[in-house]
Amino acid sequence: MFSGVPIISIIILIPIIGAVVTFCLGKYGKYAKYVALAFSVAPLVLSVLVGVEFLVEPDSTATGYHAGFTTPTFGFFNFQFYEHYTWIHSLGINYIVGLDGISLPLFILTTLLSTLAILFSWDTAYRPKEYFGLMLVLEVGVLGVFSALDYFLFYVFWEVVLIPMYFMIGVWGGPRKDYAAIKFFIYTHVASLAILVTIMAMYFQAGVNSFGMEDIARASLTLGAFGQTFQLIAFGALFFGFGVKVPMVPFHTWLPDAHVEAPTAGSVLLAGLLLKMGGYGIIRVAIPTLPTGAHDLQLLIAIIAIISILYGAMLCLAQKDLKKMVAYSSISHMGFVLLGFATFTELGIAAGVFQMFAHGLVTAVLFMMCGVVQHKCGTREIPLLGGLSKKMPAASTMMTIGFLASLGLPGLVSFAAEFMVLASMFNTWGLWLWLPILSVAITAGYYLWALQRSMFGPLTEKIDTTHVHDVNWYESVPVSLLIFLIAIFGVFPFVIFNIINPAVTIITSLPGLLGGG
Amino acid sequence: MAAVWTDLESLIPQLVLIAFALLLPAVDYLVKNKRILSVVALVPLFALAGLVVVWLFFDLWSPTNTMTNLVELNTLSGLFMLVFFSVGIIVVLSSPEFIAKDRNQGEYYSLILLAVTGMTIVAEGNDLFVLFVGLEISGIASFALSGFRKSEKRSTEAATKYFIIGGFSSALTLFAISIVYGVAGTTQISAIANALTGPTGTFTAIPGSETYLLLGVVLFMAGLGFKVAMVPFHMWAPDVYEGAPTPVSGFLAAASKKMGFAAFFKIFLIGIIVTKGNWEVAAGALAILTMTVGNLVAVSQTNIKRMLAYSSVAQAGYILIALPVGTQYAVAGGIFHILTHAFMKSGAFMVVAALGAVAIGERLDDFKGLSRRSPFLAFSMTIFLLSLAGIPPLAGFASKFVLFSSAVYPAVGSGAGPDWLVWLAVAGVLNSALSLYYYARVIKYMYMEKGPTDRIRPTPMISFAIIIALAVVIALGVYPNAVISLCEQAGSLFPLLPGGPV
Repeated sequence: MFSGVPIISIIILIPIIGAVVTFCLGKYGKYAKYVALAFSVAPLVLSVLVGVEFLVEPDSTATGYHAGFTTPTFGFFNFQFYEHYTWIHSLGINYIVGLDGISLPLFILTTLLSTLAILFSWDTAYRPKEYFGLMLVLEVGVLGVFSALDYFLFYVFWEVVLIPMYFMIGVWGGPRKDYAAIKFFIYTHVASLAILVTIMAMYFQAGVNSFGMEDIARASLTLGAFGQTFQLIAFGALFFGFGVKVPMVPFHTWLPDAHVEAPTAGSVLLAGLLLKMGGYGIIRVAIPTLPTGAHDLQLLIAIIAIISILYGAMLCLAQKDLKKMVAYSSISHMGFVLLGFATFTELGIAAGVFQMFAHGLVTAVLFMMCGVVQHKCGTREIPLLGGLSKKMPAASTMMTIGFLASLGLPGLVSFAAEFMVLASMFNTWGLWLWLPILSVAITAGYYLWALQRSMFGPLTEKIDTTHVHDVNWYESVPVSLLIFLIAIFGVFPFVIFNIINPAVTIITSLPGLLGGG
Repeated sequence: MAAVWTDLESLIPQLVLIAFALLLPAVDYLVKNKRILSVVALVPLFALAGLVVVWLFFDLWSPTNTMTNLVELNTLSGLFMLVFFSVGIIVVLSSPEFIAKDRNQGEYYSLILLAVTGMTIVAEGNDLFVLFVGLEISGIASFALSGFRKSEKRSTEAATKYFIIGGFSSALTLFAISIVYGVAGTTQISAIANALTGPTGTFTAIPGSETYLLLGVVLFMAGLGFKVAMVPFHMWAPDVYEGAPTPVSGFLAAASKKMGFAAFFKIFLIGIIVTKGNWEVAAGALAILTMTVGNLVAVSQTNIKRMLAYSSVAQAGYILIALPVGTQYAVAGGIFHILTHAFMKSGAFMVVAALGAVAIGERLDDFKGLSRRSPFLAFSMTIFLLSLAGIPPLAGFASKFVLFSSAVYPAVGSGAGPDWLVWLAVAGVLNSALSLYYYARVIKYMYMEKGPTDRIRPTPMISFAIIIALAVVIALGVYPNAVISLCEQAGSLFPLLPGGPV
């Protein structure tokens, strides 16, 4: 279908054009949302078609576009829709994009959540041109991160993501937006710089005069360019850089601040997409390129993952703000991603990738519902809420489903992901399984407790509820669609697994990852 | 006649500039509409910049006889001249509004052209004395420029300070030149290198003279350190940049300083490179100190011009990385960063000048709500500041990428060099993160704070200047390929340095 068409570049280009058009609307600013929606639906449709083609022809590297470049001779990875153009010749920097089973689900998740977040912000009246324009810029950055196969390009997109998010928190955020915006910016920027220095070191150490991810991985794996000490340091630096984004304890403190102050759509994109960038970086860059370093630090990754899972869950119990609770729950759920990766088994890594996809869907619902509560009731403080199901039955139904999905109810998407993470953990570390298992109980506890206090029981009298009404169409449509997908992929998780697995098999069969030759 | 012409060919820029500089006061006397002056001043700058672009980028024409004993026209001098001409254009375009009510406008433009003349001499200079003459021509014109508003106390104070410090640093430089001459017996830079090193590449001048040479190194560092505002010789920069008329501040930060780097690179990385083992640690420490002090002090500034001044101190620290690393690749990175910094810093100063022209102050508070008053100015300032912070895909990122990576190279892979150099990259990277704080704060004031809502309309000329800078900053960020190759060519003109990774 897309043979000979640079489809990934087109998908990335459409939101860029959309952003420029949106910024330049001038006095027609009130039409910004229509423009932005149009320019985000187009990449969504195209990316779904890409996904369909990927499923239909999963093993044909011939699909896609090879501009003056032979098919990558490196047989380890199997990227499709591959594009390659020279960018900065003398430094070996190229524009290379491509998708495989790990990036494709996240790529589609990006176009999906961007569209839904734009729809969800339909009533944004304050500076709509800038708001919707920045959403599209953000989409460009995240799409680029998930498809770039050159470190320079990857880093460019990685940093591009920061700026729109900084503005979204800083301009449209809550009362402490200044603090939260700058904290988010500095925190994640420092982490990015650790990645940057490591990229430079890997480039020189590899000695192949190329910033291509595949080239450097080849130098590492087949030429043995990276010694053990180098791998250890480089992996540590990358793990820190990507881990801040995930976020892992103890570098998670930017997250609750950013989430609490960000506008709802900002939170959706932050939790749904930006956190995935960290996990994606670990599985795309750090582990395959530096397998020995990863192997040496395996236990550390697992311990940090388990601490993130448990500590994040316990923090949730203590939260009074609904949104802050959801924010902390992200730390806990993203811990499962790290735990899956830490096993270095096919099942664990695939489950980790799947958990990223699942968490993206589920957490979007949760943040949207927090936004609805804030919007209708004027507060998200759990003690002030209560009995809202009487006033907003549809909203409370959606919220209940969202919470149940997030706590891992069988039949919904998170259950499949977390179950498999735990299964792979059992295969690797046996009965240490009891540690992460604890979190399942805590998670059920904080979600159900929050639900009971805010949605059920007698109607609250602490706030004026006379004007509280149910969800608007632009809120219910995105949430319903997400819930539909949560249920579909909960029942048929293998659809996604079939996409992810072949790519993961390639990574787990790399030499050196499990200490083997 | 033909012979005279070819001999003079490498001096065309200087001759053209001086002719126009002499012409301008006469034109001032003749015309009533003073805007014509700026147009007259733009003619040579645009013509020469065009010539350099045609020569470097399009290869349509190139100078034939490019080398004499004293000056040389090559990629290195071409790139530096491009920086000086471009900054000159940007500054001249921004000036008419800013100095509309001042007297002696003819002299103002004349001084700018003379300062550019001095800079081009440094760019081309092949001899310590030529460098010194260039530094002085440009220096004296700059002193007068920063004191252009005679009746304004701040301006006069800035000029006095700048003059005293400048004179002092010139004296140190001259002393250093005399010492090097005493040891090497020549003032021509490549001949110095030959005189100091034998075929073995070790120090082979008169036994015992090495000590004196080191004194020369220290004096050069101090003298040129003043010019580039290297810590601890940076104190003058914020005061002068704050006091001088804003376009002049931009000129000093974006062009004058770069002249200092041209001299730095030529003297340290060609002339006295054999002593590198003696000063590389000191240079590395000074680079880290310069970037850190510049950024730390910038954080607490509430005056934008002072903040930009300290930021340019910090940027000088980044560029200084090229000295201790001392590979051709590092020099390429240094030149590239000089080029990008010239555009982003002059652009930022011109935004301040555009506001100054409509009587808006230069304090952080004055930037409140700027995005509502002038979306164009706020957007441009945002791009310049983000580029200064090194956020991709802007020019500042690309050049920092090359520069910082050059410091990583010796420590890993096949690059032979001391491992500690990698800390220069780490320091640079951490400093970039620190600098983001104060750059982002300005952006925050412009976009997130509420301020006055009356519209500001910058005049076409100043908008044009800002658009030039903006276009270059974005273009060099998105597609730096051609410029990086040129910078690498320029780097390869440092024959005594080890090559880079490519």
